[in-house]
Amino acid sequence: MNTNSNAYTVIYTALVVVVVAAVLAFTAMKLKPSQDANAKAETLRQMMSAAQIKPTDELYATRNAGVLQLYADNIDRAYTIGLDGQENGTLSTDLKKIELIDKLKPQNKAIKDGGEATLPVYVFKSGISVIPVYGAGLWGPIWGYIAFQPDGRTIAGAYFDHESETPGLGAKIKDEAWFREKFAGKQVAFGSEPLFNLAKNAEQSGAANAVDAITGATMTSKGLGEALNVWFKAYEKHFSANFKAEEE
Amino acid sequence: MDPKLKETILNPILKGNPITVLILGICSSLAVTVQLKGALVMAISVTLVTGLSSLVCSLLRNTIPMRVRIIVQLVVVALMVILVDQILKAGEGTYAIDKQLSVYIGLIITNCIVMGRIEAFALGNKPIPSLLDGLANGVGYGLILIIVAFFRELFGSGTLFGIQILPAGYIPNNLVILPPFALILLGCIIWAQRAWDKDLQEK
Repeated sequence: MNTNSNAYTVIYTALVVVVVAAVLAFTAMKLKPSQDANAKAETLRQMMSAAQIKPTDELYATRNAGVLQLYADNIDRAYTIGLDGQENGTLSTDLKKIELIDKLKPQNKAIKDGGEATLPVYVFKSGISVIPVYGAGLWGPIWGYIAFQPDGRTIAGAYFDHESETPGLGAKIKDEAWFREKFAGKQVAFGSEPLFNLAKNAEQSGAANAVDAITGATMTSKGLGEALNVWFKAYEKHFSANFKAEEE
Repeated sequence: MDPKLKETILNPILKGNPITVLILGICSSLAVTVQLKGALVMAISVTLVTGLSSLVCSLLRNTIPMRVRIIVQLVVVALMVILVDQILKAGEGTYAIDKQLSVYIGLIITNCIVMGRIEAFALGNKPIPSLLDGLANGVGYGLILIIVAFFRELFGSGTLFGIQILPAGYIPNNLVILPPFALILLGCIIWAQRAWDKDLQEK
């Protein structure tokens, strides 16, 4: 057969593409459940890292079951709120069927454009509440989890992650422990503007809501600062109404 | 064993090592050698991808239209890489490593070793030798990766596979963590290999 004829070449390449697509679609379908389980466990890890819940199980790092167990043991309740700050749903915290709002992109869209939002609040037994934040970095989405003390304005801890920020620069939001540790003890200025200030030399002002941006990662820092403010704003009503600072 | 087959397996590991002799796949060897664990997963992934892609391309070698052969090869390589990535994402223990290696797993597609071996070997040889050639090249690549990662993790973090080796008072050398140091180490390995094997020295 003449393998160099036009007809042969076209049919051959078409066939190769169809076969490869079929193989990929099949594998993706088969592996989806375990990939989702891994992603869920990863979300829980990040949330609990922010909430300062230290693993007791040594399998925690690699085994999903340990992560789910730790979450189920420590969570008090989880619920969602709408843009009006009112509670509009409950998330199951039962070990067998833990529910999370882990698709943050549609929520982010809802915050910006208005509409139906289900913004999650995870309240742990220690009194710490965790909320997500989501926004755009330089190359792709960045997101994170911010844990609040029972007073609803002091940050207890934070965890940030990203899809494709530059290693060594923007990726520091995730890789460098010192960066996320800076957030602990800071206070979100609910009721005033800006809610949170992540910028160059911001800490010099001594304000409780200021954290220095990362040198060399201007766009990632800017994106993160915006993500924090947009999401804090969305939670502002709820936090102001439902959490009272003890000393006031 | 058939001496020709033995040559196929041993050559890529020493005399024809893809990194130190052919100088292919340098980019990823700088990027993923900060820790042994990542280097090991990368080594295994590249070995599987080169082996399987060479096997499939060798099986198809008489049917591939010459004019589009590079495209067909690329599709086969991409298929293997995506499969490896999907499987790593699905494993409980490998998910974190996949996230850590992030783009570099996907970039195996552009690793010159894979396409290089298909063009140079698999298209002109039977499936079994092609599979072995691909695997051996992956092993040759992985070997260098692991040597580099050994030194970088030991002196850059004081650990091996995440376990503390050097005493707690050791101050990690930050230069070792940075990619340029991998280049320095690679240079040293190439130097050592050429000093030991005179055949490799240019006249």
